[in-house]
Amino acid sequence: MKNLTTRYLMACAAIGAATGVLLIPAFFVSFAISATVPLAYAAMAGVWFLGPVVALAVLRRPGAAVLTMFLAGIINVATPAGPSAILTNLMVGAALELGFLITLYRVWRPWLFFLTGALFQVYYAISAYAYFNIDDMTTAAQAGFFVLLFGSTTVFIQIGLVIARRLMAAGVGRGVAPVPATR
Amino acid sequence: MSDSIGSLRSYNPVVKVLAPVPAMIVTALSRDPWTPAVFAVIALVMLLVGGGLRGRALLWTIAGPPLLVALLTVSFGVWTDPGLVDHTTALLTLGPFTLWSGALETGLATGLRVVAVMLLALIAGLTTDGTDLVRSMIAHLRMPYRIGYAGFAAMRFVPRFRRDLEIIRLAHRVRGVDGGRGPVATLRRYNGYAVPLLAGAMRHGDRVSLAMEARGFGAFRTRTERRHVPLRLRDAVLALWLLAVCLVPHLLSGVLG
Repeated sequence: MKNLTTRYLMACAAIGAATGVLLIPAFFVSFAISATVPLAYAAMAGVWFLGPVVALAVLRRPGAAVLTMFLAGIINVATPAGPSAILTNLMVGAALELGFLITLYRVWRPWLFFLTGALFQVYYAISAYAYFNIDDMTTAAQAGFFVLLFGSTTVFIQIGLVIARRLMAAGVGRGVAPVPATR
Repeated sequence: MSDSIGSLRSYNPVVKVLAPVPAMIVTALSRDPWTPAVFAVIALVMLLVGGGLRGRALLWTIAGPPLLVALLTVSFGVWTDPGLVDHTTALLTLGPFTLWSGALETGLATGLRVVAVMLLALIAGLTTDGTDLVRSMIAHLRMPYRIGYAGFAAMRFVPRFRRDLEIIRLAHRVRGVDGGRGPVATLRRYNGYAVPLLAGAMRHGDRVSLAMEARGFGAFRTRTERRHVPLRLRDAVLALWLLAVCLVPHLLSGVLG
């Protein structure tokens, strides 16, 4: 609780609000295209990583991803996913946070973002297996599903890291991050 | 705000969010078309009876689910591996592609599953106010109020974002950096909005945090609320009802063999 300074909370609120606004169309679109093309759904699954990646990379504090995604979820209450969007977002935020928790928040290099994101998608694909009936798809469709899923994850994490780098260059959030940005 | 017991709006937001979760899990893990169909109908009836829906929301709640099921049935039917279902009846042949009745059945089950989970989520989604949800989380889930107030702040940031975006867009246009037409240019343009928008929002967050602390925010462990969100007997009834619904698949398998 002591580490949750008001400034850190408001920084998370700012990123969370932006993420929430971005995810409102994402939730609508995901319902529409999971209805027509499950493969396209896999291609956009990475959007959910954008917010937590930016939050973690800029703020570099324990809990940044979870907090940001929770606040984004509150914004997403008005989507077809309803308040379960909070649960979805919390799951994504917590998943991305795990990799940094295991390394005790000492490593902030890009590879950890990509590795954690990829591991989460493995878990997600397994959990989505029954939901999307993946094992009844043709082999080509299955392969496409996984390629698109990992491709979109990598692309969106990369975009998040670029945005984070530019934000840090703009001098935002200086003093919130306890570790120097060079590490 | 209606406070009658028949209105879903009068129930506790946290209960409405958490109580349907077991039913969602049961739905998501089911493979037959009956379980999700039952859940979808129950959720739809609850929404129509207690949702107090009007206008476009009402129209979409009634027309949306059947449309979505139909769409999902066909599209997932197309994606299904023909090797698994070619013992069933062939309904349609278009060149190399054959639509099997078994594939449609799988598609129907998947479609019903997605729609049922969506409708269960909408029980809370269409009848809950975001600020009440946060208040209830602070009061009933023992969430630290500092985090809750970050939630209020995030909600207040959204209209500000809209204004900021308009200003940034105008500034870019004045400087002639709109970069032409077409989807690629649009994407590049939005890419240019992301950083100034976020940087502005975070600077605004810094100022808001200073203003809040200057007014003594976070000085005490607890904080009283002007508006109180009640947790009543009816919420327990709703939670028990949504848990009881999870037994439907067992009953169904008993009836259908």
